[in-house]
Amino acid sequence: MTPESFILLVVGGGIAGTIGAMLGLGGGVFLVPFLALVFDLPMHQAVAASILAVIATSSAGAAMNVERQVVNLRLGMVLEISTVIGAIFGGLTANMLSGQALSRIFASLLLVVSFLMIWRVRHFRQDHTAADEGVFPSSFMDDSTGEIVSYSAKRVPIVSLVALIAGNISGLLGVGGGIFKVPAMNMISGIPMKAAAATSNFMIGVTAAASAFIYFAHGHLNPFIVSPAVLGVLGGSFLGVKISRRIKGSLLTWIFAGVLLVISIRMFTR
Amino acid sequence: MDQAVIHHRIERWIGRVLRFGVWGSAGLMIAGLASAWISESTIRIPAENPSATEVLRKLFSGSVDPTTLMFAGMVLLMLTPFLRVLTAAAGFAAEKDRRFTLVSLVVFAMLVGELVYSLR
Repeated sequence: MTPESFILLVVGGGIAGTIGAMLGLGGGVFLVPFLALVFDLPMHQAVAASILAVIATSSAGAAMNVERQVVNLRLGMVLEISTVIGAIFGGLTANMLSGQALSRIFASLLLVVSFLMIWRVRHFRQDHTAADEGVFPSSFMDDSTGEIVSYSAKRVPIVSLVALIAGNISGLLGVGGGIFKVPAMNMISGIPMKAAAATSNFMIGVTAAASAFIYFAHGHLNPFIVSPAVLGVLGGSFLGVKISRRIKGSLLTWIFAGVLLVISIRMFTR
Repeated sequence: MDQAVIHHRIERWIGRVLRFGVWGSAGLMIAGLASAWISESTIRIPAENPSATEVLRKLFSGSVDPTTLMFAGMVLLMLTPFLRVLTAAAGFAAEKDRRFTLVSLVVFAMLVGELVYSLR
């Protein structure tokens, strides 16, 4: 590996992590196409690298969110049952598919994600289920208002079904799945956005770990690709969280929804 | 002890486990990359990825070659969520919440089952 390739991997991972964190998507959505299109890495190895990057960013983010008491641990653990089942089947399925098939499924996912990115901005709920109306009651301090927000969850079985699908996509394609889980928790269960995002972030590391060893056992982990990419994504995600607090998100969402559409076409024709 | 205090204590422990996993694995990966660079003045990518059994054999034998160091970081990273779930289970048990201790242990058992199935 030339020093240039090494630097490109760290910087590319960093950019994927930064944009992913700014948009609330996680780095995997950008890291997999980067490794597949720029480094011409086999799809299974790109997905495996992304799964490890998802574990790293989720764990680093969750460490902060758990201590700030924003994560609903009980709800997260219940939903984890279905996401882990989905992820295990996703990982097993991925290793039965060809790289080209995986690439086309990933391209289709990018189309869905670019649509969801725009759709969710207009449809997120501002209200939430009251603490005595549902199950898994919890509360957290909202930093922006200084108020304690108490809430509970409704229609958990439906959200579990969404979590199962999100877990399956995570194991199959190496993305976190938060783009599906956060809207489901917010719109179906009535969980406040901040708690939904923190709980989803807490979950995706466990979900990713459920399929990581499948890729490891199939020899898809290349340490010389994974290490710099993971370190880049990890650094980038910290930067992304800081930047996202300072800039307005809607224009960014439209721009990157367009970028994802272009990447999707490239992945289809790969 | 008050339930809320115990719950907060669980959250702090989970936070510590996560930090240890992330920074420990990042440190091992950096050490592996750095030693590859120092020993060969370049980073030479092997033609084939080593098999999981070969990696685990080297890890347990205490080998500290660059590739094994990076794999040690990757394995620690992959095991961090396992520790996260186990810490949550221990915490729920301390809270005497049997239902969620069981839920956490079910998740942990699924993760271990997948690990054993993959590496069998």
